[in-house]
Amino acid sequence: MFEEYIIAIVSATVLGLILRLPILPDKPMRNSWMISIIFPTVILAVGFFAIFNYFKVYNNIYTAIIIGIFSAVFSKFFLERVFPKPEIGEQA
Amino acid sequence: MNEIIAITIGAILSWINFVIIDIWMGLPESPGVRGAEAIGKSIENRGGDLGGGYFSGNIVCSPDASAGTLLASCGYYAFGSPEGGLIAALFVYFGNRICADPGYAGTTGALSATILIWAATYIGINPQNFIVGMLLAALTIQGIYHPYSSKLIGKMARKMNRKVIKD
Repeated sequence: MFEEYIIAIVSATVLGLILRLPILPDKPMRNSWMISIIFPTVILAVGFFAIFNYFKVYNNIYTAIIIGIFSAVFSKFFLERVFPKPEIGEQA
Repeated sequence: MNEIIAITIGAILSWINFVIIDIWMGLPESPGVRGAEAIGKSIENRGGDLGGGYFSGNIVCSPDASAGTLLASCGYYAFGSPEGGLIAALFVYFGNRICADPGYAGTTGALSATILIWAATYIGINPQNFIVGMLLAALTIQGIYHPYSSKLIGKMARKMNRKVIKD
């Protein structure tokens, strides 16, 4: 059970590095909107894999690798479009 | 374990989890959106602390560690396993992004709550005890008397070096 999670995390991290995502957000991290490997790529990989793992449909190593790849690609290319950073005027 | 004792322990663990993570992630420092600023100023006008007011305002305006703890408890209960908490963390992150929040507090809170609940199940505290406990914990900050609760949060924030950032 835990092995697949680790494989999903490793897969997301490796593809994140290949896609040149930063490992950590810039500092101060708590205010940073930068998409990085630790946050949120790994969180997405773990969350998406948890869905597959719970329903016992494709809870195997291959799914873990594909979920990791999907999470890294989603973080790099689609996350900012689907959930955009707010414009300056929208914030206080 | 007796249900009343289990709920009390759940409430204490949830309170510590969400207050520490939310302060650590800088909720008392500044309002994330205009609504949080309005709530913070209103609490200050009623004799409370501005930092504690921003903390309450930010909690209301986006899913932070309080919502993360509650949703992780609900997810754990609904799915019957830690996967529920991990799935809750994923959706809390998406909820944060929709609410103009980078998402660190909510996601960290949900993940730490999942670990806490998983550990607590070994001593007989169930996820449903955490659901009730988290509601009671949020009530102490948001529901009883804002001036006192905001002063307590403000004091803790200053100790953790998360003071209000003046423009």
